[in-house]
Amino acid sequence: MTSIRRQLLLGLLAVVLIAGLVAAWGVYRRAHEEVSELFDYQLRQMALSLRDQSFEPFAGGSRGIEEGFDFAIQVWSEDGVRMYFSRPHTGLPNRARLGYATVETSEGDWRVFSIQQRGLTLQVAQPMAIRQRLAAAAALRTLAPFLFLLPALGLLVWFIVGRGLKPLVSVAGAVKARTPTALHPLPEQNLPDEIRPLVTALNDLLARLGRAISAQRDFVADAAHELRTPLTALRLQVQLAERAREPDERAAAFATLKQGLDRATHLVEQLLTLARQEPEAVYRPGGFVDLGELVREVVTVLEPIAGAKSMDLGVTRDEAGRIRGARDALRTLLVNLVDNAIRYAPRGGRVDVAAYREGDSAVLEVIDNGPGIPPEERERVFDRFYRRVGSDAGGSGLGLSIVKNIAERHRARLVLDTGPAGKGLAVRVVFSPNRAD
Amino acid sequence: MRLLLVEDDLMVGESVQKGLRQDGFAVDWVQDGEAAELALENGVYDLVVLDLGLPRKDGIDVLSGLRAKENSVPVLILTARDAVPDRVRGLDRGADDYLIKPFDLDELAARVRALLRRRAGRAEPLMRHGDLVLNPATHEASLAGTPLALSAREFALLEALLDRPGAVLSRAQLEERIYGWGEEIESNTVEVYVHSLRKKLGTGFIRNVRGVGYMIPRRG
Repeated sequence: MTSIRRQLLLGLLAVVLIAGLVAAWGVYRRAHEEVSELFDYQLRQMALSLRDQSFEPFAGGSRGIEEGFDFAIQVWSEDGVRMYFSRPHTGLPNRARLGYATVETSEGDWRVFSIQQRGLTLQVAQPMAIRQRLAAAAALRTLAPFLFLLPALGLLVWFIVGRGLKPLVSVAGAVKARTPTALHPLPEQNLPDEIRPLVTALNDLLARLGRAISAQRDFVADAAHELRTPLTALRLQVQLAERAREPDERAAAFATLKQGLDRATHLVEQLLTLARQEPEAVYRPGGFVDLGELVREVVTVLEPIAGAKSMDLGVTRDEAGRIRGARDALRTLLVNLVDNAIRYAPRGGRVDVAAYREGDSAVLEVIDNGPGIPPEERERVFDRFYRRVGSDAGGSGLGLSIVKNIAERHRARLVLDTGPAGKGLAVRVVFSPNRAD
Repeated sequence: MRLLLVEDDLMVGESVQKGLRQDGFAVDWVQDGEAAELALENGVYDLVVLDLGLPRKDGIDVLSGLRAKENSVPVLILTARDAVPDRVRGLDRGADDYLIKPFDLDELAARVRALLRRRAGRAEPLMRHGDLVLNPATHEASLAGTPLALSAREFALLEALLDRPGAVLSRAQLEERIYGWGEEIESNTVEVYVHSLRKKLGTGFIRNVRGVGYMIPRRG
């Protein structure tokens, strides 16, 4: 599990620690340089101060020097014989180079300074370790506050980050408290800039979800309401069949009952078709659909139904070619249009189905010579469950709203018009050519 | 009894009309609100069976218009809207009863009879006039305890006359009461039924007011 708090804490502490170490390293280097300069100067001064001393009394031997004095002094005579060595056990070499030098010995590095005067060679030496110790002490003094600060800083960071994340916790709480029915937006005021986009996006999602749910609820309510009418008809028809005494009467009653069942079945099927598309089923561009082929197929399938009503159903043009779209959906669209035409046109009527190109657009067209739809009603016929006055009882009132849905999903335009002879209905589905998807 | 049925659904309308006719009512059927208003202006109805979800003019508006014209004909609402506010609104706008779809044909007929009874100021389900007893629910009639064999039309005519004893109904009014639209009316039919009823009930039972119509005298 990643925790922003832990990450921030560890990250910040690491940065502080690294900054402290870098500072300490810098201080160490600087202190080392300064101490070196100072000590070199001291070595030189000491050597110069020894210049005027007479080493005769020391010649030939060496005496112990007080503890705590960390310099070592060597004196050589003109002929190179060591006359004096203050700390013989240091392992300093028995020779000297004039000026400053750093020599390695068994006891670590020593800094030495040698001068010559009056035939004698004087050398003052001091262990390098002292300089390092002093520099390290300075570095440590620099680092110490950082080290002491670290736990306090950690606590502070933990606390501040926790405070900063509090709005997130409260948003999470607010979301958690939601039930599927409570979709009102989360409060957006007093939120930090970093969290507001999240809440805004969530609210947007909630709003869309709310719309989808209420559309679905409306649909279910409408559907239940609409199912009542065919069920009422069925119930009444059953009762009439029960009452019928004469065989003829009974046969007639059963025939109407069957029509009632057909109609209820049709409504349920149409509801299912619509429910599969509602409210915002994802549309996938799918493949290509040959409109000419579709027209021929649908006309072939529906021909028997048209034939039963002695209607002339046929294809007039099938040259629209292929368009991008979902084949099943477009088939449902065309079946509904042709079915509507057959349903509402009179016995012995004529239904022409065509697919053609108009400019860049592909067009599906169904023309019948039925009663048509007056212009003032043309908007409303696409509404769910809208049925025209005195229209045939078999319609579900859903056909054109299914068509509208599918057309919208394909970004196609639906045009209702009067048939070519000034009567009947012409429905055109115009697919726009430059569909960006 | 002549009823006006206002129902836009063909199958439901057809079945209700048929069922109510079987129950001995003369039923006229219209399919939209405007046609309903027209029929209510011209026709004489004992009761209106009104669907609410109507094209052209909503059932509630038809009802309000009817009551605004002080027409007190009983109205029974048929509707798929079963929410309480809908029902309350319907009754408050002047409906006398309410039936939710899907409903039972027998229940509808029973409610129609109950409303007609109430309108005639009777609480008793049976119509009595001296020794004559009519049961509108079963279409059975008896005279001094002896069952009478009456045809549906004879029963309807008798029922119409007994609905308001003492009132004179013209031949046309009686025809209206026993025939719905489109039902074939034979000529002299009222005379034929009156004649046959007189044979079964006694000559003096139905009186002819010359040049006006028929009546059954109120019993003192």
